[in-house]
Amino acid sequence: MSDTPRSPLYFAWRRFADNKAALVAGAILLLIILMAIFAPLIAKTGYADQKFLTQAYAFPQAEFWFGVDDLGRDFFTRIVYGARVSLTIGFTAAAFSLVIGIPLGAIAGYYGGRADWCVMRLIELFSVVPPLLAAMLLGALTNGGFLTIVLIAALFGWVQVCLLVRAQVKAIAQKEFVRAAQALGATPGYIIRRHLIPNAISPIIVGFVLAIPLAMMLEASLSFLGIGVPPPTPSWGQMINVGMNFMYFYWHLAVFPTAALAITVLATTLFGDGLRDALDPTLKGR
Amino acid sequence: MTPALELKNLSKTYQLRQSGGFFARSTDHLAVNNVSLTLPRNQILGLVGESGSGKTTTGMMAMRLVEPSAGQILVGGTDITALGHAALKPYRRKMQVVFQDSYSALDPMMTLAQIVAEPLHIHGLGTGAEQTEQALDMLVKTGLDHSYGNRYPHELSGGQRQRVAIARALILHPTVLVADEPTSALDVSVKAQIINLLLDLQAEMGLSILFISHDLSVVRSLTDKVAVMFQGRIVEEATTETIFTDARHPYTRSLLDAIPVLNPRDRRARTFLTRAQIEAATPRLSGQDGRPELLDIAPGHRLEAIR
Amino acid sequence: MIRYILGRLASILLTFTVVSVIVFLMMHAVPGGPFDGNDMPVNDAVKAKLNASLGLDQPLYVQYFKYMWGVLHFDFGIPFQSPGETVLDLLARAWPPSLILGGAGVLIGAPLGILLGMAAALRRNTWIDYLASAFATLGLTIPVFVISMALIMVFAVWLNWLPASGWGKPNAWVLPIIAYAAIPMATYARYTRSAMLDVLNKPFVTVLRAKGLSERRIIFQHVLRNAALPMVTVFLPMFIGTATGSIFVEAMFRVPGLGAYFVSSIELRDYSLEMALILMITMMFCLAYLISDIIYALLNPRIRFGERK
Repeated sequence: MSDTPRSPLYFAWRRFADNKAALVAGAILLLIILMAIFAPLIAKTGYADQKFLTQAYAFPQAEFWFGVDDLGRDFFTRIVYGARVSLTIGFTAAAFSLVIGIPLGAIAGYYGGRADWCVMRLIELFSVVPPLLAAMLLGALTNGGFLTIVLIAALFGWVQVCLLVRAQVKAIAQKEFVRAAQALGATPGYIIRRHLIPNAISPIIVGFVLAIPLAMMLEASLSFLGIGVPPPTPSWGQMINVGMNFMYFYWHLAVFPTAALAITVLATTLFGDGLRDALDPTLKGR
Repeated sequence: MTPALELKNLSKTYQLRQSGGFFARSTDHLAVNNVSLTLPRNQILGLVGESGSGKTTTGMMAMRLVEPSAGQILVGGTDITALGHAALKPYRRKMQVVFQDSYSALDPMMTLAQIVAEPLHIHGLGTGAEQTEQALDMLVKTGLDHSYGNRYPHELSGGQRQRVAIARALILHPTVLVADEPTSALDVSVKAQIINLLLDLQAEMGLSILFISHDLSVVRSLTDKVAVMFQGRIVEEATTETIFTDARHPYTRSLLDAIPVLNPRDRRARTFLTRAQIEAATPRLSGQDGRPELLDIAPGHRLEAIR
Repeated sequence: MIRYILGRLASILLTFTVVSVIVFLMMHAVPGGPFDGNDMPVNDAVKAKLNASLGLDQPLYVQYFKYMWGVLHFDFGIPFQSPGETVLDLLARAWPPSLILGGAGVLIGAPLGILLGMAAALRRNTWIDYLASAFATLGLTIPVFVISMALIMVFAVWLNWLPASGWGKPNAWVLPIIAYAAIPMATYARYTRSAMLDVLNKPFVTVLRAKGLSERRIIFQHVLRNAALPMVTVFLPMFIGTATGSIFVEAMFRVPGLGAYFVSSIELRDYSLEMALILMITMMFCLAYLISDIIYALLNPRIRFGERK
């Protein structure tokens, strides 16, 4: 027995710190987040400023780290601001996923029976509809835009959160401390708030972090097809689409946004995987 | 004096739904069949039987944690069978429960002080500081000192966790305690400590305990009266002394025979009966097949027989 | 068993109906009809006539039932963007490249993924395991158009080994198929690894080892059989997934398949084609889930015993 009391979350942190890949991924993610927050300090111009029209298509060099794009904008600035768009959409969509997923998962898991049946049918609905097609349809319907993309991503992101929370709540609801609380006359609301959700904190954190890359991918895909974030707001997916047209001549326009998107999504996923393994060792490898 | 707890003709039918969603059919399973029990004040009643005999379901119905399909539950003479959530709440203070698995009985995300104070919190008794103080006092009463207050359940041993569970159950000063196999997951030495703790607290706080167990040696050292359950029914009920010296029902006897004997010289002929053999050996009054019924065969001694 | 299948069938029919209603309503909520675009020099009277000829002036529920009645007879209407043929004709024309792409992708990717996953599970915490996990994570997280982009940059632009687009010559198929195979490979590697590890950690495997059974027989006779169960269920839905995942591959490599038509049908507000595509894919997903549920029930003795009880 240790001298100072340790909460279960402390041990999760210890397990996480042992996972080198996740630690590195977390550090990279943190760097990208800082870059996104302090974009105005890092970038030399605004993201839409066409200050270098005469040097359009310039290759990467000391003055322009990532070169200049087709419209005479510093490409490094565009990529940095692109992180802002990508991360904001990722985080807000993941937050919305929690808002939908947690209550539905908790209700389905705690009450079971009919409530569970209804939630599971709802999830089945989302599992037979190809998310990308539906997202494209919705995107076309609303002509894209920031909020729309967040909502679409949340619409398909909550399912995983809901399933994770439901499974955990179902397991916890069987535990005898829940019965003990019922025996004390606690209301279902109290039990869900005070026992079930705190004990489902691991899947909630994991669901949140894993929903972020999904939303970022969705945004990039929609923007790539031209129904995502409207220009001149910088989006990596949109930049890849433009870069494709010039890839034989100006490789940097295709390579940098591709790499930025790949690194961010990969870092977030690895970080999320590490968190999951640390928070719930029984879920490992799923 | 009204008994602390009375169960009258309690039954529980489970519908076993088969998978298949929309067109699923269900079959009925009678888990508890017409059970009547009386728990007098300041006494310990043992409820014994094999796993699946319905003893835990009976205990959970007494706590209104499982809804009975038929019958009545009386606490201190008041019928609580049909009370709604709010109306039931005052009676919840009078009856508490201790479970078998002390690990899953304590919320792993809460400190021990929070766990023990939770009943006060739910019933809105006292300020936060008062609740914590009372919780720490209760921990001391169950043999854990103040320093345990901000520890977490995973840092404790099984016996210590069971002490915490008992502290939580008793902090509201209930009159009835349902103890569902509280010692069966513990080592022998720890088992004895927990039994002594229960006996001490029972005397000190004037508790009536429904002690559910399959461990007859524990039941013998703790209880005043024993009821034996088999296939969802009570087949024999008598004082502890009578059960251990003058058991009549074939199932009670085979249970007694299953108690391990330490001295090989005392080894006796054991009978292990199957369900069919027990049913065949159940006392019959008329030599014909009929419904099983509980009969008073001596003062305080009830026995199931087929009329 | 029959009861179980009927139950699943009912639940899937319900799901399908709900999806079709939602998609239908969404299609009609799109601002503007097919003849509202600015580039269409059509006056109001002609527009009304055109809408009437296509039944667009009737109440929504009538349009829905008419449409679904047609769907039951495989009549998906006429695509606005190519009025000379039916939607079915157009799909038949667009299907083969998608099928070749998706089929070859799955047929190459799935076995590779299974082998990789098995190797990772059997050589746990060695370089093979790390490599497989890295592959699986890459394939599952990086959007397929990013993978395509990388392939094009390396093999078409820099090395100039293979064409970057087109569908005429077979050597143009290589890159899109590789890009497509990445997803099933990653999915299968991950599933196989976790399914095998699950089984390998079960006590019965320890018992088999204690009995002195050779490791090879343990793997092939016991572990694989038990691990196959959860894998069978992902196979069919994933195969259908090829139909949607191929959109980006097709867009990147300019392949004239279903994906290309899907994108253009959204841009052109082509209701018939749009609905036909979504409904067909949803229907195939429903069927795939139903079939894998049935296979799962057939293969899993626990479910059968549960039925008998």
